[in-house]
Amino acid sequence: MNIRQATPDDLLNMQHCNLLCLPENYQMKYYFYHGLSWPQLSYIAEDDEKRIVGYVLAKMEEDPDDIPHGHITSLAVRRTYRRLGLAQKLMDQASRAMVECFGARYVSLHVRVSNRAALHLYENTLHFSKEDVEAKYYADGEDAFAMKRDLSNVAEMIAREKRDEPSRHQKSLPGSRRNKTS
Amino acid sequence: MAANSQKLPQKESGIFKKVVRSYECKQYKNGLKFAKQILSNPKHSDHGETLAMKGLILNCIGKKDDAYDCVRRGLKNDLTSHVCWHVYGLLQRSDKKYDEAIKAYRNALKHDKENVQILRDLSLLQVQMRDMDGFCDTRYQLLKVRPAQRSSWVGYALAYHMNNDFEMALKVMGEYRKTQAPPQKLPDYEFSEMILYEVQLLMESGAYKDALKFLEDFRHYVSDMLAYAEIKGDILLRDKRFEEAELIFHDLIHRNPENLMYYQKLEECLNITSDENRMELYRVLKEEFPRSHVCRKVPLGFLKGPAFRDMIDQYLRPPLHKGVPSLWIGLKALYENKEKAQVIEELVLLYEKNLQSCNKFHPEDPDPMEPPSAILWVWFFLAQHFDRCGDHRRALEYIDKSIDHTPTHIELYMLKSKIYKHAGDLEEAALWMDEARSMDTADRFVNCKCVKYLLRVNKIDRAIETAGLFTREGMPPLQTMDDMQCMWFQKELARAYWRSGQYGEALVKYHEIDKHFDDIIEDQFDFHTYCMRKMTLRPYVGVLRLEDRIRGHRFYFDSAHDIIELYLYLYDNPDAKRAKDAPIAEEIEQDLSHLSESERRKIKRKQRKALAKAKEKAAEQEKEKEKENKPRHDDDRKAATDENKIKFNPKELLNVEDPLNEANKFLKPLQSMCTGNIRTHLLAYAIHSRRRKYLLMLQSLKRAFSCDPENPTLHCYIVDYVLTLEKERPELPDPVHTVIDDCIPRLTDGGKSPDELNQSFIAKHSNSLEHLVAAAQVLYKLHPDYRTKAIAMVTNLSDSLIDRSLRTCRNVHKFLSSGFLGDCSDELASYSSQCHALFPFASSFKPPVEAGKELESSPASPGDAPPCVGVAGRSPAAQKES
Repeated sequence: MNIRQATPDDLLNMQHCNLLCLPENYQMKYYFYHGLSWPQLSYIAEDDEKRIVGYVLAKMEEDPDDIPHGHITSLAVRRTYRRLGLAQKLMDQASRAMVECFGARYVSLHVRVSNRAALHLYENTLHFSKEDVEAKYYADGEDAFAMKRDLSNVAEMIAREKRDEPSRHQKSLPGSRRNKTS
Repeated sequence: MAANSQKLPQKESGIFKKVVRSYECKQYKNGLKFAKQILSNPKHSDHGETLAMKGLILNCIGKKDDAYDCVRRGLKNDLTSHVCWHVYGLLQRSDKKYDEAIKAYRNALKHDKENVQILRDLSLLQVQMRDMDGFCDTRYQLLKVRPAQRSSWVGYALAYHMNNDFEMALKVMGEYRKTQAPPQKLPDYEFSEMILYEVQLLMESGAYKDALKFLEDFRHYVSDMLAYAEIKGDILLRDKRFEEAELIFHDLIHRNPENLMYYQKLEECLNITSDENRMELYRVLKEEFPRSHVCRKVPLGFLKGPAFRDMIDQYLRPPLHKGVPSLWIGLKALYENKEKAQVIEELVLLYEKNLQSCNKFHPEDPDPMEPPSAILWVWFFLAQHFDRCGDHRRALEYIDKSIDHTPTHIELYMLKSKIYKHAGDLEEAALWMDEARSMDTADRFVNCKCVKYLLRVNKIDRAIETAGLFTREGMPPLQTMDDMQCMWFQKELARAYWRSGQYGEALVKYHEIDKHFDDIIEDQFDFHTYCMRKMTLRPYVGVLRLEDRIRGHRFYFDSAHDIIELYLYLYDNPDAKRAKDAPIAEEIEQDLSHLSESERRKIKRKQRKALAKAKEKAAEQEKEKEKENKPRHDDDRKAATDENKIKFNPKELLNVEDPLNEANKFLKPLQSMCTGNIRTHLLAYAIHSRRRKYLLMLQSLKRAFSCDPENPTLHCYIVDYVLTLEKERPELPDPVHTVIDDCIPRLTDGGKSPDELNQSFIAKHSNSLEHLVAAAQVLYKLHPDYRTKAIAMVTNLSDSLIDRSLRTCRNVHKFLSSGFLGDCSDELASYSSQCHALFPFASSFKPPVEAGKELESSPASPGDAPPCVGVAGRSPAAQKES
């Protein structure tokens, strides 16, 4: 499995993955909108045949009065690729980019109140917490939990990494050409 | 200069401004009211600009005919008004007649050179239509008129970029940047994007060193740290500055340990000379990144022998312990190597044995006992393993064992269904997928699989109903699927319609897919302005380039391929459209002469009843469809916009005058965007040969030849071409002869005769069934008396064949049934029974009694038709009969 930032070429295949996995679907234009507004925030997981098996489609909420925060528009992993931790890895990448590029302080999302599997993933694995219930959020009339995850620990991690960079670089790898010169 | 009658007095002129403002604020009713105030005055009833504005507003409220009428009248009355021309252009634009709109805008600009709005509108159309020279000119005008705006500079630079003039693009960007104070507050996303755009320009111009220097100079302002590192790493690697690049890629792995490309680039930086070296690298990396899946998986690819065995043993056990359903799929690529597949089989069979005897993967393992689920996941793995190896019987044994063990796991039923599909029993596959679906009706993935499998067995109504469980309530499922651009579904549905003989319905679905691509191209429009404002120029350029080859996407290729074949079929069988319309009427024509009068009357009465019933049903269906096509009174905005959508009509599509012309329309994009795919050129040949376009046929052959000279269908076509020329040659003009004589030797191995060509083709490919089928067709065409030999060639099932698979054997079966070789019923019976022994689950080969539920498929069905049957002239057998 390969995880990388989504490019414009991935958008149509992300739409395909979304249509296979989730009841909430969007026209291509909405994918273009994400890719052309916040190209850093969406990630995909692909298999050996370069087929997209999971993705996260994310954006920034652009309310100037609000503190900057990201929003997960859609997150899906093909059923046959569950239990590999892909959702978490995709979310980690997206969250980091939100902080680095846009100074996001937290990230929000919506989930169907009936979707226990997703709720479990968001609460237990991805450390989101329920903020609110939005009545009739979905087209079929179902309510949504509005959830939030604070990103200050991500900001701290980025800062820590910057600090540790020099020491990390002292380790050398097998076959490194850096050994010879030193 | 405006004609005097066209100049409004002060009061009216004020009202006119209100008309414009109302339009801009979308207050259309008010706008029309104000326009009426002007036009109702007989002195101004022919005021051009007011008429134009009135038309523009009418267009916005859907009164297209009145709109055109008003705008045309307005323009006629005031040909020198930029407003009238601009409005005329806007109207054309809203109808997507972009070329016309560009002309209108140009006329408008003649009368008002520096009108920013018109310049902007013109530039949008130019970039949309990829008139990049014109775009560059217009952006220059805009910069002159509005030099203080950032978008003026950016747009001008972008225009040069799109013309591949990197130097000018960089110059413009540089000039603009100099006027800007660097941001104080960071991160500043737009400034960061601007810097990275300049870096991209430098990279694309080939100035990598300058790009790196520029990137480092402005490093402080770049907030996209991933782009920064990836660009820097790539440039360093290009420059062979391995020591520095190593640090970058090592850092990038730290950032994202699942990105395979970082590992590959890191390896390039290092001095790796052996598999041992390489293994050592991944051992160290695995220690540093214990959660990385890539670290564990990459070595499986390059290790061999005992080292591979040890590695895969370590790799397999944790997920079998934990229960990871995707474990096997992740290893599928290893099966290219037979030895590795063998090692995996031995190992997992050993786990099975050991788990059964001592509850451990290996008896000597120090770990505690494995959980009871371990054996389940071992069986699940083995089922997939044997499925991949073609041993479907064993695969089914294992999946049944696991279902007995834990009857509640949906994954198990999905796999069982998949095995049946691979084994060739699609009915059974659909049953089991539906079983899986019923166990979790809230999961769309299993729902989609079920829909797909139902369509594969042509259970169209059931499939649509099932898909409807996830589509918007109160709307027909087909409409929602179309609105959401659900192309996999539309393609599968089209094929099901085709197989069921509902050709018109199939054409509709293929056209809907084509329309999605039109819409996706149209989608760009709003982003031209948006991205220049947002400064997201890098992805914007990416999207422009993507759109230029969007029809190269496999969704388009597959459906274009299908629809071309369908049009060819309709061209070859003009009766096909009628036959399916009135199947019952045909039955009535049957010979009843051997019956007594009363019996005959009875039968006729029965048939009439059946006919009436069928008609009733058809009428009902028609009504249903009409309902679907009617715009719904849904207050959802989306539904409202869909009223403008083109609705395709199956009858109209089916009764098209020239199917070849239609086929050609779908071929064109393939010829520009899928040139590397040989099927593009084979389709081209199939179309051109029916139109007797000898030079285009030759061109297609040449292109196909450069893709793969050994392609079986191409072999048939080359022979077909040579034979056709022998007949038609005298009628062709001299220059055509010259071209043909130039090219034929290369295609025919130095001018070999069809017979010689076919002999060497057979010699070269004696172990490939696919090639033998092609050769047999050619043989029979050249020598109808070699029929027995041709049949023997294709019915060969020896173990030495490299491609003896369910797919190829089914194609042979289809070929024999096609009548190309005349009546083959005896041969078919014996071939089927031999194939039945090889593929016991495949419904195509089940003996007639058992095959009661076998799929009835129409003579032409999408996908795996045998090569070249029916190209340019019928088979000798068919000719004899006719």
